[in-house]
Amino acid sequence: MVRKIIDDIEKSIRETAKKLLEEGKVDLIIGYTKGSIPLRSRPCFITDASQTDMLVWNQSCDFNLANYLTKNDDRKIGIISKGCVGRAIVHLIVEKQLSKENITIIGIPCEGVLNRAKIMVEIGDKEIIEANIEDNKIIIKGKDFNKTLPLQDYINQLCITCHYKIPPISDIIIRDQKPEKPLKDDFKDLDEIESKSSNEKIEYFKKELNRCIRCYACREACPMCYCSLCFIDQNKPVWFGKTADISDNFIFHLIRALHVAGRCVSCGACSSVCPMGIDLNFITRKLEKIAKERFDFESGISLETPPPMGAYKFDDKQEFMIEED
Amino acid sequence: MIQKMISKEAIADLIKELQKEFKVFGPVKEEGGVLFKEIKDAKEICLNYSNSKIPAKSVLFPMIDTLFSYEKEGKKVKIIENPPYEKTVILGIRPCDSMIFSLFKNFFSFGKYKDPYVLNRLENITLIGLGCLEPRTTCFCTSVNGGPFNKESLDVLITEFKDNYYLESSTDKGEALIKKIKSLTDADKGDLAKIEKLHKDIESLIPVIEGLDSIHTKLDGLFDHQMWKMESQGCLGCGTCTYLCPTCHCFDVLDENKKDGSGRRIRIWDTCQFPLFTLETSGHNPRSTKLPRVRQRIYHKFNYYPKNYNIIGCVGCGRCIINCPVSSDIRNIFMSVEKMSSKTEG
Repeated sequence: MVRKIIDDIEKSIRETAKKLLEEGKVDLIIGYTKGSIPLRSRPCFITDASQTDMLVWNQSCDFNLANYLTKNDDRKIGIISKGCVGRAIVHLIVEKQLSKENITIIGIPCEGVLNRAKIMVEIGDKEIIEANIEDNKIIIKGKDFNKTLPLQDYINQLCITCHYKIPPISDIIIRDQKPEKPLKDDFKDLDEIESKSSNEKIEYFKKELNRCIRCYACREACPMCYCSLCFIDQNKPVWFGKTADISDNFIFHLIRALHVAGRCVSCGACSSVCPMGIDLNFITRKLEKIAKERFDFESGISLETPPPMGAYKFDDKQEFMIEED
Repeated sequence: MIQKMISKEAIADLIKELQKEFKVFGPVKEEGGVLFKEIKDAKEICLNYSNSKIPAKSVLFPMIDTLFSYEKEGKKVKIIENPPYEKTVILGIRPCDSMIFSLFKNFFSFGKYKDPYVLNRLENITLIGLGCLEPRTTCFCTSVNGGPFNKESLDVLITEFKDNYYLESSTDKGEALIKKIKSLTDADKGDLAKIEKLHKDIESLIPVIEGLDSIHTKLDGLFDHQMWKMESQGCLGCGTCTYLCPTCHCFDVLDENKKDGSGRRIRIWDTCQFPLFTLETSGHNPRSTKLPRVRQRIYHKFNYYPKNYNIIGCVGCGRCIINCPVSSDIRNIFMSVEKMSSKTEG
């Protein structure tokens, strides 16, 4: 998306937020503001209409803000929602974790956020001192280097395959114009990993998960991880190991993945927050594909359709069941 | 103090010499960032780096630390102690990160009980630090009693200069080590003066955060201040800031039992940012929400540490700023403390 459109969206976000607060339609705006280092944004919580100029919108707004909505908040909240934030809200409503009443969804079209881990692989250990995102390139400046990267190559893979650039439901739509029609999601991005042998897959999983330090940023950033006590924290008695050992890491990540199967809204927050640059979406994408293929289900799209793991249908495929003799 | 030099190309020779007597740990480039690992082959070391993703505390205080193992012998349990800790050199640690060696010494020997594991390692580790020629914009070591060439916690400081590394001992341990290494030559006197100037020039580049040296007294009056509500509302409650923090050292102790009755007692990193950290058996949790947990991190480093040990529990490396998933910046908290305390006083 060209820079000018993004700047226009940012301007409209500020104006809309200001108006909503001034008119008393919301008590709180949840949005993005500038992070303190380049290519970063941080969530912000605005209650004062005079502060709405701190709101920003750009490709560094990667975080899923739906995470900050809880069912116990009785304030009227306006939330800046790109497609996946909207999907998360819808799915949380379906799972009865939120009620729509007090939430004003301010829908914005999103053409994808940056994959910072990929940029850091390119830049290495060096510090980015300044970064500018232009129409189709990222211009990065460091102490003794300048680098121009093609923007499209550094957009999150999930954003490239994303079908839902704007939220499925919105109360206010900023820039009421359907973005370019995305390609049909054919899950081609999974071809490479799916073509690997079991051993190769295990090796790949190991290589990724070996780096995990068990900070649980992935879990905390996931809008679908809302359990008051995570299975991994069960300690009376202990259910699973909590060390950063590869076998414990495997258990944690694979069980967490199963818990978000058919629920994950493909926002990519788990990967983008990982301090160790682990690409967790190699697991979530596969689950998304299975949910689509087996149940023709996509999470967070409809307020009416129950998630496959929470519903029972007579015609559910069950060829994997073993027949009794 | 002894000053010696070695050409950059000869660093492999130096590592090989060290390996005769020591286990050598150093920065290694891995997927996901630079980590401190045992150097088996001198080629693995990466001295041209900014700072490691995980601080070198992982050598002194490993993520998984076996305290002892056990086996079942009939009805008795046989305890198997760890093998003695080998003499170790950490080569290439940044001066900021080296500060934790004095900090950990204080913490792990505080009060009646001494921690034999960390204290034993401290005895056996020699630190060869690498001066910081390119501090990041997120660095603030000079505001917390450190500096890019601070030797206080190092045995030897290395400064990269032109095609050479200059070594300078700062302890007896360091001096003894330098004397042993044959591949070193006498330092060029002309260069030494230039290096001294370089140290000062680079140190002056790091912005100073005013008032950080007296932050503990300011925090005294702010425990119940509403600023913590603001500071904690975006926090995810993950462990990134504390796990990647050089000074954080909290742990959990677990037993890993196998079916055959053998097993090990381990301690693993734990953090005050997790609700389970303070959950009591009764079910009561004194820090049940994010607010007291976020506040605890700041108070432990900037109020309790100065009060208990007369040191600041932060080395100014900036890792928490760089790695926070929601880009929370501890320097903003310093600013709030400064602002709020002056308001309270006024």
